[in-house]
Amino acid sequence: MLNIIVCVKAVPDPKEACNIKIDPHSKTLMRCDVPLVVNPLDKNAMEAALQLKEQFDVHISVLSMGPPEAGNIVKECLALGADQGFLLCDPAFGGADAYATAFTLAKGIEKIGAYDVIICGMASSDGSTEWVGPEIAAILNIPVVTMVKEIVESDRDRWKVKASLENGYRLMQVKLPAVFTVTRDLNTPRTLSFSGIIKARTKEITRWAISDLGVPAEAVGLKGSPTIVSELSSTESKREAEIIAGTREEKAEFLVQKLADVGVL
Amino acid sequence: MIDFTFTEEQEMFRKAASEFAETSVAPHVAEMEKTGEVSDEVVKALGEAEMMALTIPEDFGGLGLGYTARMIALEEISRISVATAMMLQVFALGIEPIVQSGSDELKKKYLPALAKGERLSTTAVTEATGGSDPTGIRTSYKKDGDDFIVNGRKCFITNSHIADTINILTKSEDDPKLFCVFTIDRDMDGWRATHKEHKVGMRGCNTGELAFENLRIPKSQLLGEEGKGLRVSMAAIGDVGRGGMVGCALGLQVACLEESVKFANERILYGKPISALPAIQNKLAEMKIELEAGRLLAYRAAALQDKGQRSSNEFAVAKYFTCEAAQKAAKMAVDIHGGYGCMEEYAVTRFLRDSFVLGPSAGTSDIMKVIIGRWVLA
Amino acid sequence: MENSQGSVWVLAEQIDCQILGVSFQLIGQARKLADELGTSVESVLLGDHIQEQARLLIAAGADKVYLGNSPQLEFYQPEIYCEMIVNLARERQPAIMLIGSTFMGRELAPLVAARLQTGLTAHCIDLVLDENKILDAKIPAYGGLLSIMCPQKRPQMATVAQGVFPKPELDETRTGEIIPLDVPVDISRRIQTLEVVREATDGVALESAPVVVAGGAGAGDPEGWSKIADLARALNAALGSTRPAVDEGWADLETMIGQSGKVVSPELYIGVGLSGEQQHMVGINNAQVMVAINNDAKSPVFEQVDYGIVDDCREFVPALIKKIKEYQEKKVTC
Repeated sequence: MLNIIVCVKAVPDPKEACNIKIDPHSKTLMRCDVPLVVNPLDKNAMEAALQLKEQFDVHISVLSMGPPEAGNIVKECLALGADQGFLLCDPAFGGADAYATAFTLAKGIEKIGAYDVIICGMASSDGSTEWVGPEIAAILNIPVVTMVKEIVESDRDRWKVKASLENGYRLMQVKLPAVFTVTRDLNTPRTLSFSGIIKARTKEITRWAISDLGVPAEAVGLKGSPTIVSELSSTESKREAEIIAGTREEKAEFLVQKLADVGVL
Repeated sequence: MIDFTFTEEQEMFRKAASEFAETSVAPHVAEMEKTGEVSDEVVKALGEAEMMALTIPEDFGGLGLGYTARMIALEEISRISVATAMMLQVFALGIEPIVQSGSDELKKKYLPALAKGERLSTTAVTEATGGSDPTGIRTSYKKDGDDFIVNGRKCFITNSHIADTINILTKSEDDPKLFCVFTIDRDMDGWRATHKEHKVGMRGCNTGELAFENLRIPKSQLLGEEGKGLRVSMAAIGDVGRGGMVGCALGLQVACLEESVKFANERILYGKPISALPAIQNKLAEMKIELEAGRLLAYRAAALQDKGQRSSNEFAVAKYFTCEAAQKAAKMAVDIHGGYGCMEEYAVTRFLRDSFVLGPSAGTSDIMKVIIGRWVLA
Repeated sequence: MENSQGSVWVLAEQIDCQILGVSFQLIGQARKLADELGTSVESVLLGDHIQEQARLLIAAGADKVYLGNSPQLEFYQPEIYCEMIVNLARERQPAIMLIGSTFMGRELAPLVAARLQTGLTAHCIDLVLDENKILDAKIPAYGGLLSIMCPQKRPQMATVAQGVFPKPELDETRTGEIIPLDVPVDISRRIQTLEVVREATDGVALESAPVVVAGGAGAGDPEGWSKIADLARALNAALGSTRPAVDEGWADLETMIGQSGKVVSPELYIGVGLSGEQQHMVGINNAQVMVAINNDAKSPVFEQVDYGIVDDCREFVPALIKKIKEYQEKKVTC
């Protein structure tokens, strides 16, 4: 059996995330009630695992670190077809940067034990760092290929994958166990099904706190993070748009004139 | 304390239905509007997404999820396409009499295929001479040995031309107090779908006539007891049919509000988006109030239905309220759009046309009031 | 000659024996930081047949170049590259390490950072020093700027996209030291680059295009997107995108403009159906004229451009293309 661990992150719904802004006066986050969803690229990671499960004898574990509400997105992955869910949930994990996140996830992966393949989305929609996947690999001392766009061969102990490059790709051969981070070119994620949701009723989510991982509090969360966010400043825009009035034709006419004025036409 | 929250699982159902509607239904709406025909792709997608299986028991290949889940699915699908929600709701209306009153043999014969969407269903009651008053129907049966012979016509039947498994209400040729419901299927000779209607709205949902000419039906196709067919069909229509319309109406209410908010934020008047105008805010608030109220009525009735209690009166209230509210919402949405509200490329024109089809389906608002009046006087 | 303060490093990158623009740009910025810190700029360059190229890094401002020159290093090989850089960094203890946000940089940087157990800031749009000479890496977030710092661990690492910093003047007379690196022999070979394929791109290159048309989620569907692409063609412009457009699958990742994508400096920028998210807008550097088309009058994009059109881009763009064609025909006939 091939053991796959898919790492997923609960992120504020990207469709509504633009509502999160900095208050220009208090410099704090003005956060409307933005619901948490599965990070979009992590759905491609899930899909990759599910497609393998359709072909081979595969066991899929879903692993996430996050607040208790992140249990919902682990549940969603179980409804999509994962076999088992793990949520690393402890106030001590809060405020983690990419390294502390990767460290904590790596400890979770070690505790899960059996793994041949670890799949992550290439980046998260909220933080936009792409570090967690490769840093997990470095911490576990196993190889990684980032930005995989095609799985060419998936033998039991060796994979061949194509990974994105500037205007092209690189063909990589990797010995398992290994970490792969995936792009949206890899596949089209399936949507939730009602029967999948029903099947997930009996699937378990294991919640681990810091004591379960046996790591010191200094190694995780804010304390275990080499980087700190030291300042939140708002930016003043140097421009202010002149809103063009009129009918659609008039607006188009005006714009064409502007384009001609700047010499584009 | 009454718990008014959806369970985590129900929220996930909503997400699933919404994702389905947006990925598998939305791309076909324009084509359905243009041709007025049922989209084979949409029907196929509904089957693959197990949407027909919701109310079918697990023992017969269904999901056995019941009516709150169904209401959620209908609301989310109707938000994208009322026509598709209507088609789906009537599939369930065709399924329900078999689930409630069918013999084990009939259930085994039809339900697994209906759950997969390999068979498509409807229930046919309405005729020129009776719909809301089903005793006025003229389609008749007479016994011939162990078989029944049926003659007559049905009109305004949703899914008439796509359904291959149809429950028909018939009246005894000999005794006007005796009714039978039979499940007929494509393999039987003696019936056909004739005229296709061209409705003002819900284009892409098929409505038409059925004609029966010496249709011979074996006794095994009878639903419930011989002569007690009125109860069989009314139980399905009162709860499932009416409840389905409520889901369609809710989805349309949501769509009207969303489209109005979007437009009101886009359209500039006096140098500001019109959403800044109290007159527009007033309309948006009214739409929101009626949506919230409609949801409470709808999901309460569905909760009763899930508990196995009679819910047809509660659904009558919910249907009256949500269908009226959907019509009002569609009118307000069109009004908010001003001149654009007359242009067919704007979805609100579809909403307005669809809203007018909601009313008469499964009983007009006036009929709902008759039912509600009887309820309070009983 | 070593300063007590560690040096500023740039991990340079070459493709087909050509050092990338972003590597030079980083040398330029590293020079500024190093001068302020009173330390040196050092660069690591790995490849094959690249001795001559190493001199260019010195011309751009590097004091030392650690050069790994071997057929084994021709392509980026994660294990060897990472091992060589980590070993060297452990030995030399740089204060700062900068890498371009290229595909290689985005994989190599976190591998190196995790091995060195240090912090790595992603896709910065500015790099300065605070009053304690700590690197202050700015990234856009939530409509403002965040300062990310790594106060304890060294090196302080950051990735930066092509185009964020200007390319420094090359001074061929500058002198510096080129120190050859040995390729380690006992490296595990669990992962290998078998092949690198570069595909020709169609259309106008984003980075150098004088006109950029960028589309966002407002396109609505592939059809809406194709209209925006038509507009780009009509204007002979490069077509860019936002992350939502890439996530929807309408646009290639290659076309993404912004913090984790490309940085462009066109004469004219037209943003179509996008909301002006910081993560996208920081990718437009010094555009002369900026125009936005968005159906939401309250969209933040209108606070960041010169001309705003409030309209559904799906309807407006075809109308605009029609007017552009009319204008072009008129111009020809005149």
